[in-house]
Amino acid sequence: MQFRLEKRQEPSQLMVYATPVAAVLLTMIVGAIIFSLIGYDGIGAVREIFLTPLTNSYKWQDLGIKAAPLIIIGVGLSIAYRANVWNIGAEGQYVMGGLAGTWVALATYGMTGPWILPLMILAGVVGGALYAAIPAFFKVRLNVNEILTSLMLTYASVQLIYYLIRAPWKDPMGMGFPQTRLFSEAARLPTVIPGTIVHLGVPIAILVAFVAWFIMSRSVFGYQMKVVGAAPHAARYGGFSESKTIWLAMLVSGGLAGLAGILEVAGPFQRMVPGFPTNYGFTAIIVAFLGRLNPLGVIFAGVVMAITFVGGEVAQTTIGLPNAATGIFQAMVLFFLLAGDILVRYRLRRVSSIPASGAA
Amino acid sequence: MPHRLELTGITKRFPGVLANDNVSFAVRPGEIHALLGENGAGKSTLVKMIYGIMQPDAGEIRWNGQPISVANPKAARKLGIGMVFQHFSLFEALTVLENIALGMDSKIPSRELEARIRQVMSTYGLLLDPHRTVATLSVGERQRIEIVRALLLDPKLLIMDEPTSVLTPQEVEQLFEVLRKLAAQGCSILYISHKLHEIKALCDTATILRGGKLVDTCDPRQETSRSMAEKMIGAGLKDIVRAAGRSLGEPKLVVSRLSTVKTGHFEVPVDDVSFTVRVGEIFGIAGVAGNGQNALLDALSGEIRSDDKNAVAIDGYPLGLLDTTGRRKHGLCAVPEERNGHAAVSDFTLSDNSILTARDRLGMVMLGLINSGAAKTYTGKVIADFAVKALGPASTAGSLSGGNLQKYIMGREILQKPSVLVVSQPTWGVDAGAAAAIHQSLVDLAAAGSAIVVISQDLDELRALCDTLAVINMGRLSAARPVSEVSVEEIGLLMGGVHGTAEAHDAVPA
Amino acid sequence: MDITIAIFITLVGAATPILIAALGELVVEKAGVLNLGVEGMMLVGAIAGFAAQFYTGNPYLALLAGAFAGAATSMIFGFLTLSLSANQTATGLALTIFGTGFSALAGAPFSARPIELMRPLFPAELATHPMWRVLFGYSAPVYFSFFMVFAIWYFLKKTRAGLILRAVGENDLSAHSIGYSVKGVRYAAVMFGGAMAGIAGACFPLLLTPQWAERMTAGRGWIAVALVVFASWKPFRLLAGAYLFGLVMTMELYAKAGGGPLSIIPSELWAALPYLATIVVLVLISLRRDASTNAPACLGKPFLPSN
Repeated sequence: MQFRLEKRQEPSQLMVYATPVAAVLLTMIVGAIIFSLIGYDGIGAVREIFLTPLTNSYKWQDLGIKAAPLIIIGVGLSIAYRANVWNIGAEGQYVMGGLAGTWVALATYGMTGPWILPLMILAGVVGGALYAAIPAFFKVRLNVNEILTSLMLTYASVQLIYYLIRAPWKDPMGMGFPQTRLFSEAARLPTVIPGTIVHLGVPIAILVAFVAWFIMSRSVFGYQMKVVGAAPHAARYGGFSESKTIWLAMLVSGGLAGLAGILEVAGPFQRMVPGFPTNYGFTAIIVAFLGRLNPLGVIFAGVVMAITFVGGEVAQTTIGLPNAATGIFQAMVLFFLLAGDILVRYRLRRVSSIPASGAA
Repeated sequence: MPHRLELTGITKRFPGVLANDNVSFAVRPGEIHALLGENGAGKSTLVKMIYGIMQPDAGEIRWNGQPISVANPKAARKLGIGMVFQHFSLFEALTVLENIALGMDSKIPSRELEARIRQVMSTYGLLLDPHRTVATLSVGERQRIEIVRALLLDPKLLIMDEPTSVLTPQEVEQLFEVLRKLAAQGCSILYISHKLHEIKALCDTATILRGGKLVDTCDPRQETSRSMAEKMIGAGLKDIVRAAGRSLGEPKLVVSRLSTVKTGHFEVPVDDVSFTVRVGEIFGIAGVAGNGQNALLDALSGEIRSDDKNAVAIDGYPLGLLDTTGRRKHGLCAVPEERNGHAAVSDFTLSDNSILTARDRLGMVMLGLINSGAAKTYTGKVIADFAVKALGPASTAGSLSGGNLQKYIMGREILQKPSVLVVSQPTWGVDAGAAAAIHQSLVDLAAAGSAIVVISQDLDELRALCDTLAVINMGRLSAARPVSEVSVEEIGLLMGGVHGTAEAHDAVPA
Repeated sequence: MDITIAIFITLVGAATPILIAALGELVVEKAGVLNLGVEGMMLVGAIAGFAAQFYTGNPYLALLAGAFAGAATSMIFGFLTLSLSANQTATGLALTIFGTGFSALAGAPFSARPIELMRPLFPAELATHPMWRVLFGYSAPVYFSFFMVFAIWYFLKKTRAGLILRAVGENDLSAHSIGYSVKGVRYAAVMFGGAMAGIAGACFPLLLTPQWAERMTAGRGWIAVALVVFASWKPFRLLAGAYLFGLVMTMELYAKAGGGPLSIIPSELWAALPYLATIVVLVLISLRRDASTNAPACLGKPFLPSN
C-alpha cells in the first residue's frame, strides 16, 4: 500500500482550519514521545504545558495578559504577511513602542490627568510604526530585503533599552539597578476586572482583532493587501500600488507591535526594565501563521501560544522542565502547521494497484 | 525495416481527465510526422511519455521494433530521441555553451564541445555565438540553441513541440529547411502543431488527436486545411459573423508619441508609437514575441504611466497621466497576455477577481467597503453570458482551464462596456470553440461602437479579425494598413525587422 | 605592532564563523533555496560541538559533531520545503525558533562548565615571532574557511556539478525537464549549508568563548545571510564582507575592554554596531546597478513541476 499526493481542484477550506488544530494535537503527541525519549516526563510535560493552564482557573488571568500582546502583534503581522511583506522585526517595534511610551511616562512623571495614558499609547503606536518605517523605506526605495533590516533593527533596539536604562533614564532611587522609576499612577494601565491582573490591554486585543477582521474581509484596504500579496503583477493591473501597500503593511504591523509594547510596559511592567523584550514579537510570527493570517484565527492562536508560555512556567516549577522546552513546543507547532499546509492544495490518496511502469 | 517508433494502445489518466485514450501510431525512419490537435487534445502528454518525462498507464512503446520503457529523458536521449520544447528549457543567466553542456549527458571538455557545436551549426546553417549569455538573445536564437543541443546528440527521432509559434514566416522557412535536411539523412521528426498550412507544407503524415483519442492518421497533402481542421475540432467550423455594410466612425483612441523607459533587464520598451483607432474598428498589432508588446499593453492600460498626458487619449480626453483605475473610469479596459498572476489571481475566487478590474465601473465599492453581493451578481452574469465552465462565482480562478479562464477575463472586461478595449493574445492556448466565441464577442463589441486593439503573434487570427493592421518590431510600430491590402509576406518582412529595421521599413512603403 | 597583530588575530576569530556559515548559505541560495534558519542551525551546531568537546576533548570530533548536527537540523527544513513545498521564509524562521529552543534545552546541563579552546593547527615553534603568528597562529577552522572560499568558487565556476547546481537555482523547471533531479540537488545543497552552519556554530565555543551560553551566536547567522546578498553570491566577496564584520566586532570587544578612544562611545552602541552595519551594507549594495542581477532566479520559490 502506498500513498500519493493528488492536486485538488479547489483548495480545501476544511483543511485551512483543520490543520492548525491538527498541528497543536500532533505537537502534543510527538512532543510527549520526544521528551520521554530524552529522559523527561514527556506526558507530564505535555499535561503541564497544554492542559494545566486551561484547567487551573488561577491561570486564566495569566493567559489573558500573555495572549493580549501576542494577539495584537499577531494581527499586525497577519496583515503584513498577507501582503507578502515579511516584517519579522516586530520584537524591535514592540520595544520601540514601549520605549516611546516610557519616554512620555517619564516626561509626565508626577503629573495627573486622564490624557497621560492615551498620549503614551499614541506615542507607543507611533514609535513602533516609525521603527517599521525604516525597513519600509529601504524596501520601497532600494528594494532592500525587509526580513534582514527589520531583524537587525530588533537587535539594535534591545541595545537601546540597555543604554537608556543604564544612563539617561536610570531610576535615581533604584540602588544602581538598570531600570527606570516606577510610573506614576496616571501612567499605569488600569485593570478591567477588579481584584485580578487583567488589564485594559486584554479587551483592546480582542477589539483590535475584530476591527482588523472586518477591515481585511470587507474593505478595499484588505483587498489591496491580499491581492498585492497573492499576485503583485495583477495588483498593479487592478490599480493598486505595491509601494503604498508595503508602506501600509509595515506601518500597520509596526504600529500594532508598538501598541503591544506600550500596553505591556504600562500594564504588567509599569517601568522599563532590561527584561522587557520577552520574545512576544517572535512568538507572534507563529501566532500569525497558526491563525492562518486571519485576525479571528489569531485570537485562537494567541491563546494557544499563551498557554504554552504559562504552561512552560508551570512545568518548570512542577516537573523541573527547562524553560527552553516551551520554545521547542512552539517551533514544533509551526513545523507541523507548515507540513500540513500541503493538504490544503493536495489530497492524500491511497494507491492500491501498482501502476503500469512504476509511475510516481 | 521496422518502424523507428511505434505506439500501441497508449493510455494516460490524470485526476478527472483521460489525457490519452488508447492511442496508436507509428513513425518511419526519415519521416516527418505531424501530431495535430487542439490545446488539451493530449499531444503534449503523449510526447512527454515518449521522451520519458511521464510514464504511460497502459500501452506499449516500440523503438526500432523493440519494446522499450523510457524511464526518464536521459534514457530517451540515450536511445536517440531528442526534443525541442515549446517553452524553452534554457537558463537565462548562463551562456549558450553552458546551456548546451547542461543538455549533454556525458561530460565533454568545453573546448571539444565548442568545436562540435560549431560543426553542427555549419552543417545546418544555424548561426550562434557560444559565449553569449542567453538573456541577450532573441527568441529565434534561443530556439536555435535548443535545436543545436538536440542535434549534438545525433538523434534518430527529433520531437518539435509547437516550434513556430515564436518565429517570423521567414524564420519558419529556415527552420523547415533544417528539418528537411535532417529527415533526408534518416532522422525521423515528430512535429507537433495546430497550424495546418505548416503541416501541409512540411509533413509526410499527420496523426490527429481530439480529446485524448486518435481521430485519424492521414496524408496532409491529400487533405484540405478545412478537412483537417474539422477532424481536429470535431464539428463544422464556425465563421465570424460580421454585420454587413459596416463603416468605421470618428477617431476614438488616439495614441501619440507614446514611449516607455526600459525597466527589466531584457524587456523591450515602446519607442515613439502613434496610431489612431476609430469607433467600430478592430486594430491589430502583429509582431514576434518580445518586441515590446508587453510594454505597449502596460502603457495603454495604465500600468505604466506616461509623463505626457496626451500620449493616450479617448475622444480627445487626455489619459496619459492616469493609472489603470483612472483610465478604466474613462472607459479604457485592457486584458494582458498572461492570465495567471496578471489578468487574474489564481488563488482568488472569480467573484474576487471581478473586484480587481470592475469595482469602480460597476459600483462594487461604497465608502471604502466592498459590496460582495454586487461582485457575485456581476460574476454570475459573466459566467452565464460567456458560457464559462465554472461551478460558480465562488470557484477559484486557478481551478478553471486556460480557455475558460480566458473567456471569463474577456467577459469581465467586455461586459463593462468599455469604449476602448486593448487585448493581448486573446486566444493564446485556448481551444478552437472558445477562440471562436472570444473572436465573436470582440466583433460584437466593435459593432456596438467600441474601439478595439488586438495585440497578437497569430497572423491568422489578426487577418480574420481586424480591419487595420500594424507591426511592432523592437518597440517601434509600422504604419497602419487596411488588412485587405497587406500580404503575409509584407507583414513577415516587417516582423523580421529584428535583424535590419531599416530594410524592412523600406521594403514595405507605408 | 603587537597590538595590531593581536587585533588582527581577534578579527580572524570573529570573522571565521560568519564566513563559514555564509559560504554554506551561498551554496544553498545558488541552488535556489533561501534557508533563513542559519542562526538556528548554528545554535544546534554550537551545542553539539560544545558537548562533544566537553565529553571527548577532541576538537575535531567537536567540529564533526557540529557539522552533523547542523546537517541533521537542515533536513527538517529540507523535508518541509522540498518534499512538502512549504513556504521557505516561514520554515526558515521556524527552524531558527527551534534551534534556539533546542540548544537552550540541550545546553542547560552544561552551564558554568568550561571546555578547552581549540589549539592552533601549527606547532607553537612556527609562531614564535609575532609576524609568523599572523600566518601560523590559528586553529584549523580558520584555514578551513579560506580553503572553502576557494573550493566553493572552483566548484561553482569550474565543475559540471557546480554548473548543474547553478542551473537548478536559475530555472528549476528547465533543469527538471532536461532530466536533472531538482529536489536531489537542493537536498544536497541544503544539507551542505546545514553542515557549514553547524561547523560555524561549533566555532563559537571552540574558538571564542569556551563556556555554554544560550543564544551564544547572537544573530551572527542572520548577518551571514545578509552577507550573501552583500557579496552578490560571489565567494571571494564573501571573504571581504566577513572580514569587514570581523573588524566591527573586534572594535566592539576592544571598546568593552575599555581601551582608549573607543570607549567614548557607549558600549551599547558598539554592541549594536554589527547589526546597524549590516543594514548600511545592504543599503549600499542595493545602490549598485547590478545588485540583484546576480541573484539566482528561483531563489526562495517553491519547485512545483506540473507532473
